[in-house]
Amino acid sequence: KGTIHLFRKPQRSFFGKLLQEFRLVAADRRSWKILLFGAINLACTGFLLMWCSSTNSIALTAYTYLTIFDLFSLMTCLISYWVTMRKPSPVYSFGFERLEVLAVFASTVLAQLGALFILKESAERFLEQPEIHTGRLLVGTFVALSFNLFTMLSIRNKPFAYVSEAASTSWLQEHVADLSRSLCGIIPGLSSIFLPRMNPFVLIDLAGAFALCITYMLIEINNYFAVDTASAIAIALMTFGTMYPMSVYSGKVLLQTTPPHVIGQLDKLIREVSTLDGVLEVRNEHFWTLGFGSLAGSVHVRIRRDANEQMVLAHVTNRLYTLVSTLTVQIFKDDWIRPALLSGPVAANVLNFSDHHIIPMPLLKGTEDLNPVTSTPTKPSSPPPEFSFNTPGKNVNPVTLLNTQTRPYGLGLNHGHTPYSNMLNQVLGVPGIGASQGFRTGFTNIPSRYGTNSRIGQSRP
Amino acid sequence: MEEKYGGDVLAGPGGGSGGGLGPVDVPSARLTKYIVLLCFTKFLKAVGLFESYDLLKVVHVVQFIFILKLGTLLLFEHSDIVVISLLSVLFTSSGGGPAKTRGAAFFIIAVICLLLFDNDDLMAKMAEHPEGHHDSALTHMLYTAIAFLGVADHKGGVLLLVLALCCKVGFHTASRKLSIDVGGAKRLQALSHLVSVLLLCPWVIVLSMTTESKVESWFSLIMPFATVIFFVMILDFYVDSICSVKMEASKCARYGSFPIFISALLFGNFWTHPITDQLRAMNKAAHQESTEHVLSGGVVVSAVFFILSANILSSPSKRGQKGTLIGYSPEGTPLYNFMGDAFQHSSQSIPRFIKESLKQILEESDSRQIFYFLCLNLLFTFVELFYGVLTNSLGLISDGFHMLFDCSALVMGLFAALMSRWKATRIFSYGYGRIEILSGFINGLFLMVIAFFVFMESVARLIDPPELDTHMLTPVSVGGLIVNLIGICAFSHAHSHNHGASQGSCHSSDHSHSHHMHGHSDHGHSHSHGSTGGGMNANMRGVFLHVLADTLGSIGVIVSTILIEQFGWFIADPLCSLFIAILIFLSVVPLIKDACQVLLLRLPPEYEKELHNALEKIQKIEGLISYRDAHFWRHSASVVAGTIHIQVTSDVLEQRVVQQVTGIIKDAGVNNLTIQVEKEAYFQHMSGLSTGFHDVLAMTKQMESMKYCKDGTYIM
Repeated sequence: KGTIHLFRKPQRSFFGKLLQEFRLVAADRRSWKILLFGAINLACTGFLLMWCSSTNSIALTAYTYLTIFDLFSLMTCLISYWVTMRKPSPVYSFGFERLEVLAVFASTVLAQLGALFILKESAERFLEQPEIHTGRLLVGTFVALSFNLFTMLSIRNKPFAYVSEAASTSWLQEHVADLSRSLCGIIPGLSSIFLPRMNPFVLIDLAGAFALCITYMLIEINNYFAVDTASAIAIALMTFGTMYPMSVYSGKVLLQTTPPHVIGQLDKLIREVSTLDGVLEVRNEHFWTLGFGSLAGSVHVRIRRDANEQMVLAHVTNRLYTLVSTLTVQIFKDDWIRPALLSGPVAANVLNFSDHHIIPMPLLKGTEDLNPVTSTPTKPSSPPPEFSFNTPGKNVNPVTLLNTQTRPYGLGLNHGHTPYSNMLNQVLGVPGIGASQGFRTGFTNIPSRYGTNSRIGQSRP
Repeated sequence: MEEKYGGDVLAGPGGGSGGGLGPVDVPSARLTKYIVLLCFTKFLKAVGLFESYDLLKVVHVVQFIFILKLGTLLLFEHSDIVVISLLSVLFTSSGGGPAKTRGAAFFIIAVICLLLFDNDDLMAKMAEHPEGHHDSALTHMLYTAIAFLGVADHKGGVLLLVLALCCKVGFHTASRKLSIDVGGAKRLQALSHLVSVLLLCPWVIVLSMTTESKVESWFSLIMPFATVIFFVMILDFYVDSICSVKMEASKCARYGSFPIFISALLFGNFWTHPITDQLRAMNKAAHQESTEHVLSGGVVVSAVFFILSANILSSPSKRGQKGTLIGYSPEGTPLYNFMGDAFQHSSQSIPRFIKESLKQILEESDSRQIFYFLCLNLLFTFVELFYGVLTNSLGLISDGFHMLFDCSALVMGLFAALMSRWKATRIFSYGYGRIEILSGFINGLFLMVIAFFVFMESVARLIDPPELDTHMLTPVSVGGLIVNLIGICAFSHAHSHNHGASQGSCHSSDHSHSHHMHGHSDHGHSHSHGSTGGGMNANMRGVFLHVLADTLGSIGVIVSTILIEQFGWFIADPLCSLFIAILIFLSVVPLIKDACQVLLLRLPPEYEKELHNALEKIQKIEGLISYRDAHFWRHSASVVAGTIHIQVTSDVLEQRVVQQVTGIIKDAGVNNLTIQVEKEAYFQHMSGLSTGFHDVLAMTKQMESMKYCKDGTYIM
């Protein structure tokens, strides 16, 4: 094989890539154990499926699906090891953390689909109940139970442990908690085992084994073959109950939703941010969980025209950074073009402006479309700048402009600059464009008095 | 029995052992005599009811209802509270915590046990029926009516009893108000008995006219009649009313239900026993041993479940209620107000809800198509099921179940299509559009599972090909094929609009191919991604693939049927299904892959090139040093989101850069963009603010890189 082939191969074949990643994971010591367990699991599942067909018991099949689910959870565990090793690629810019979530989601959904299949099968069995041979029923039950419990307890499955802690309780857990609460009233010592909430997987394994034992007993004693179907339905329902909260939790992560438990904290932080000096409003806030636990988010912050953007950005980032690790903050001002006209050297700015005015103007509209209420002042005034130099009095209506503008800036005015604006309005209140622009220059002059500007001056090379 | 009570109090969840907290309780010592009284009367009532059963067998009033005497006792003697809480658990969402749900489940299980597992002498009954054991026309009529429904007589009795129980509870709740109008509960009770006697009188007269009497002497029956009337009607009523005055109603129900069940069980076992026969004073004239119900395991199990459920349901619900904190008592314990529940009922009426959701469904083409197809599918399913039941063909019925199972995918697709149009909320800040992708993913998994099961089944059949009965298969599969073809036409119509590909019928390879195509062909340079079309509606793709898989299934059945009938190749069936499984699998893989990529926040492949160009263009903007953390991902069919951090030189206006960058990136197809513009001052501020040491380190590194870049630009 030539070098070109070697170079190209990993990109081409899917299995080669998989093998490469697998080698990467297999290099880790911890994953050996998982691989060992996976191999045992495969063997175990094979035996169980054989026993299922020999006993013709659907309850045992439903229980076997739990073993298969165990296999998926082992795979998820491997994936989570792999994820920690991988760096974000340019295509998957957020990294592969979400693969863990997707694996959890997929395996819980697959378990539920299996349960759905069981429900369908048992509906058909109610019509025509076949005979169940109890020969290997109990053996299969105990093999599956002991293997499941052994896997659960000996392997630290990080993603599933997290999800089962974070997701809401399943109905099975609730009932057990309710029962054990009254049990612990009699024997207080048990509370350490049962009380807060039991591990849902251990619970469903035990409950399924219990149902199978009852099935075995009733079939042995009385040949009630219908019990098999009934307990299959029970196991399927328990599987649903156990898996549903987890798939809802991981599905919500995948849907890029704000996790409900951080909403309170986020609200507090956003309130803090909106009281920062110069901040007018916070909008378009999107916060979502990237993987299990880490938050990502983006937010738009509208600031007063005279506020220092970098300063506000730093403060906002600083506040939100405690909670949101991947954060993007867009600072925007309304009508930022006007102050630039009068505050800087006029000639240069006009030149500058004429260079750019063709590009930005339609875009400004596009961005402001998102929130028409707050951007009302921009819209009537966005066309004028190009024309207003040539025909100052033509398309400006000073009275209405003033009215529309004082409203959104009301917050800013409260900071004690009212006298300035009044004065400046009087001074610069020339007809035409002067009215609106003078209004703004009143603010653009102020930032020099704010402490932050001096710092920029210092930092400037 | 008193000892049992003691145990009961202790074992009851939070019963008497609650201690200081909770509603104020009368000390249980004072109540003991009432409890004992209650137990005793309940016991006597059980005696009376059994007695009355014997009597009724002789007198034929409404013999039918009392066919299952034990069932009568078990079912009918649930007190109002138990039943009301059961119904509230079943029909209102605001039950009362898990315990109540458990109780309701126990109740239902018990009823089912009574229905299913008490089949000890069902055969005997059936065999006896022609002999003319029923000597009254009425009973016979009822008997045939129930037999027509397909359940044995005592099962019909159980069903009737459930109905009667509901009626009784309804009557009792109504009677509370009525008793005030009439003037006391006592008078009402008397009146109601009178009315019931009047109602029963014609029956009795008619029956006694038409049937030859088996009664030898009316006189010997007076004594048992008197005891029955006394025990069942009078004593029970008085003691009940006294106890309910003295104790809580729930407690009363709990203590009352327990002895009656126990005694019912005991009597059920021993009533027909020879010893008790001897003990009884009166002689039974027409006592038929053969028709007696023997106590079976199912009845015992159901009795245990009934006791449990009565115990749980009648216990006052404490934890489930949501109380509002009013304040603190002088001792410092919190006081709660439990009235809140009454004000939270603001649910819509059901017809209105259905109407509104239907309107929503029909608003948009996607959900409308799914809905119509779902209706068609369900119609076909029910026709199939009905026909299957009518002709008693198991194959048809199981195929119907299979169709129902498939419908679940359609239902999910419908819900996803409906939900994806919901407005964005605080939690779903980008809107619900992504649900479609998730639903597509789930549908893909669903199909994978189906393909897997079909594969396993066909492999098993390859090894051991079974003999098939093919004559029923063809019409069903042709019907299914027609339905699914309609679906394919409907969905591929919407589909091909998006793709510009030719009709994607039948050929799945063609279909998947067109999917590969669409990534390049569709998204040329169109930036107006309306929510209506969108290149990638994973939900519709999933539903489409589902319908496709079904179609393939029916085609496979038809082909294999033809092969089997013509040539007798029984191997054709597993081969066909193997082929179908592989086809389904192959057609699903692209869907799952695409959905995974979206869910993993991959850079959208169809925008990859443009975004790359856009980022190159950005770097050429005047005053821009570099960018970092460029994330672009597809959120849903209509939303492509992106975030980017940009470093600029200190002398550039941030807003202008934002506008320029926004313009460039939006041109590349991203419509939800956040840009963070950073100058050197930002990093200085950040390091000045109390960020952690590591952050400062990262920031200074950033700054250094910036300086380096700046140097580069300066050099240039």
